[in-house]
Amino acid sequence: MADLVMAELGYASLLTSFFLTIYAAGAAFFAARRQAPALYASARNAIYVVAALTTLAVGILEWALITHQFRLEYVALQTSRAQPLLYNVSALWGGQEGSLLFWAWLLAVFASVVLMQNRDKNQDLMPYVIIGLAIAQGFFLALMTIATDPAQSGFFLLTPYAKDALNALVGNPFRLLDFTPRDGNGLNPLLQNPGMFIHPVTQYLGYVAFTVPFAFAMAALFTRRLSDVWIRTTRRWTLVAWLFLSLGLLFGMQWAYMELGWGGYWGWDAVENASLMPWLTATAYLHSVMIQERRGMLKVWNLVLVMLTFCLSILGTFITRSGVIQSVHAFGVSSLGPWFLAFLGVTLLSFLYLLFNRMSDLKEENELDSLLSRESSFLLNNLILVGAAFATLWGTIFPMVSEAVTGKKVTVGAPFFNQVNGPIFFALIVLIGICPLIGWRRATPENLARNFLLPMGVSIATAIGLFAMGVREWYGLLTFGAVALVLVTIGMEFYRGVIARMRQHAENPLVALVQLVASNRRRYGGYIVHIGVILAVAGIAGSSFYPVETQANLKPGETMQLKQYSLQYDGLQIYPTENHQVIAARLTILENGARVGTLAPEKDFYESPNSDASQWTTEVAVRTTALEDLYVILAGFDAKANTATVKVIVNPLLVWLWIGFATLVAGTVIAALPDPREARATIRSRVREALARA
Amino acid sequence: MSSIAAPAERGAAVTTGGRWKFFIGGLLILGAIAYVTLSSFQTNAIYYLTLKELNTQRGSLINQPVRINAPLDKSSIQFDDKTLLLKFNLKEDNLVLPVVYKGVKPDTLEQGESVVAEGKLGPNGVFQASTLLVKCPSKYEAGTPAK
Repeated sequence: MADLVMAELGYASLLTSFFLTIYAAGAAFFAARRQAPALYASARNAIYVVAALTTLAVGILEWALITHQFRLEYVALQTSRAQPLLYNVSALWGGQEGSLLFWAWLLAVFASVVLMQNRDKNQDLMPYVIIGLAIAQGFFLALMTIATDPAQSGFFLLTPYAKDALNALVGNPFRLLDFTPRDGNGLNPLLQNPGMFIHPVTQYLGYVAFTVPFAFAMAALFTRRLSDVWIRTTRRWTLVAWLFLSLGLLFGMQWAYMELGWGGYWGWDAVENASLMPWLTATAYLHSVMIQERRGMLKVWNLVLVMLTFCLSILGTFITRSGVIQSVHAFGVSSLGPWFLAFLGVTLLSFLYLLFNRMSDLKEENELDSLLSRESSFLLNNLILVGAAFATLWGTIFPMVSEAVTGKKVTVGAPFFNQVNGPIFFALIVLIGICPLIGWRRATPENLARNFLLPMGVSIATAIGLFAMGVREWYGLLTFGAVALVLVTIGMEFYRGVIARMRQHAENPLVALVQLVASNRRRYGGYIVHIGVILAVAGIAGSSFYPVETQANLKPGETMQLKQYSLQYDGLQIYPTENHQVIAARLTILENGARVGTLAPEKDFYESPNSDASQWTTEVAVRTTALEDLYVILAGFDAKANTATVKVIVNPLLVWLWIGFATLVAGTVIAALPDPREARATIRSRVREALARA
Repeated sequence: MSSIAAPAERGAAVTTGGRWKFFIGGLLILGAIAYVTLSSFQTNAIYYLTLKELNTQRGSLINQPVRINAPLDKSSIQFDDKTLLLKFNLKEDNLVLPVVYKGVKPDTLEQGESVVAEGKLGPNGVFQASTLLVKCPSKYEAGTPAK
């Protein structure tokens, strides 16, 4: 009985939340129009209550997942008795309905945090911020509580408590079966990996957090308060959202690398592209806001970038959770499509309407002075990033578009994305290197040339050195030359700053470095992010330009060779674990003839009471050094003959991809730390805006 | 007050009539990106076909790269784990397409309802796949559990 009562309670709290979001939006609107503080307080309280109720719903679903309440369809599909607790917990975001709940819950929590942060600030903006947040929340809550499949049973469910009515909903996480299965199917074994525990969480945190800057942008448009106040207010939200999108990319790549077992980490799959696109536009936005803050320019462009990032986040959720685009993630077709497209369409149209309506308030305060200036290099960076996002979007959604228009389905794969994004990203790397050398407003070519001499020299020397070592491919020489260029220019920035501090404050170099970063966290945090990006580029270039592989069928005692490695096969090892059987191939690894360790790539068998759900997975074994990864796959085995087919890949420099991302994360955290400089600048902006309005 | 009203960077704009320079520069860059996108698309776009469509256009598609999506005949799966040679048939109504793939067998193949294969149709009627995607019944979920 408890299961039925709890499911009812869960659904009821979501339905109540849905009505409360509508109330909050309405109350906030009239509060702003009629100057009614009591009504505004009521709208705020409604948002807090939504946070409490969705937390309750998440708690109920987690309780059901952990205690095996298989009467709930979602629990029966996503968990099983034998499944480790960790993956029963993470089943909350393992499936479609749970993901929707997770989204709505995160947004509810974020909305409450925003309200608390702005209790005494931005009072003119806040009612409209509430409206924006409440609408986004209401959309996700509606999918779970009242939206039905338009193709089958109309758009809305008007009588949720009629018999069987709830089964028609597109996204109800508390849907009940008419019987209680003895056991559930369990999460797909491919998703039973620590990377999959954390990847969706970070990805959703990133997607959802971008709702906050977008809500502020819409509020600024609505109230015509279009100075840089809304940008400064949401600066840290944007950074944190970007940080989580980056972490989402990182954990997604690591999962693919360790779990999918094909030796790579990125396949330009639709779902991967869906996580990359908002990251690209958000990166553009992080740069272009600096121009609005310093020079009062690019106001329209910044609004457009925030809107694009939000829409691409929604699109990302949709692509991942529907099945419109065939992908290795192989999600089935769901009935969510029309709803997501409608929400995107309404968002886009209302944004454009407001934007054109407010054009007169969006005058630029300055003009660009010179083609050779920091501003221009930021503009170029923006064009490149947005260009890459659009090229990726084009390749991702073209199959759908071409089928709709011509009836023929045409598609592109990884070669297209590499061919297009390769040169675009190369231009971006070079730009990262040149940008710090160019001053704001107007730089002189002589100055640039002088600053450019050392980095260019090192860059050319690197390329020559690599050529001497036997690297012949022009793209390899070019990329690593560019990597050296960027590292030197950023190194010079740090060197100059440290020397200046050492002179001024008589500090030793280490203290000077720490103080330098601490005194301008945003700037030097940004440079650290750039170093991270460049290290990641080195890892990507090494592993995608120069991988080598081989395979062999081995009897015990036999060895196989790849580069300087020999792998000696010592036989199979078969043993059960908590919820699966392991078949491992034991290998002794020798490097240049010396024993350096052992590796044991596995095939695991997950048996399910539902035999269709039983499945094999491949667990690779990897030996990582600073220079290269030795990546070993057990491709096949014969338990009787004790033989194994082993595939080995050497991925040069791959670890630098992970190190680069770790550096990027560290830099972002530094840039997002509370910074007195930024706080003062925000206050100045507020005062300036108030003076301008008075 | 001066620091509030006018930070150093906010001096009067130097109008050099330079807007056009930026406009043209930006257009050139966007044009270049658009050109690269469209031309790469032309060279890399391939037809995404069902078995029926492949069959009717068989003549013109021999040795052309295509992507096909068709139901998998599970009983036909053969995998030689010594040579990593995978063979199976795709089957739609009464059409059967033998597929050959060299590489590690996807873990999800046995549960696959249908397969998306990219590759070329040989003159002998055998499809040489270079990449395989297995489409599972529903997301990463199996059907409703048994009573």
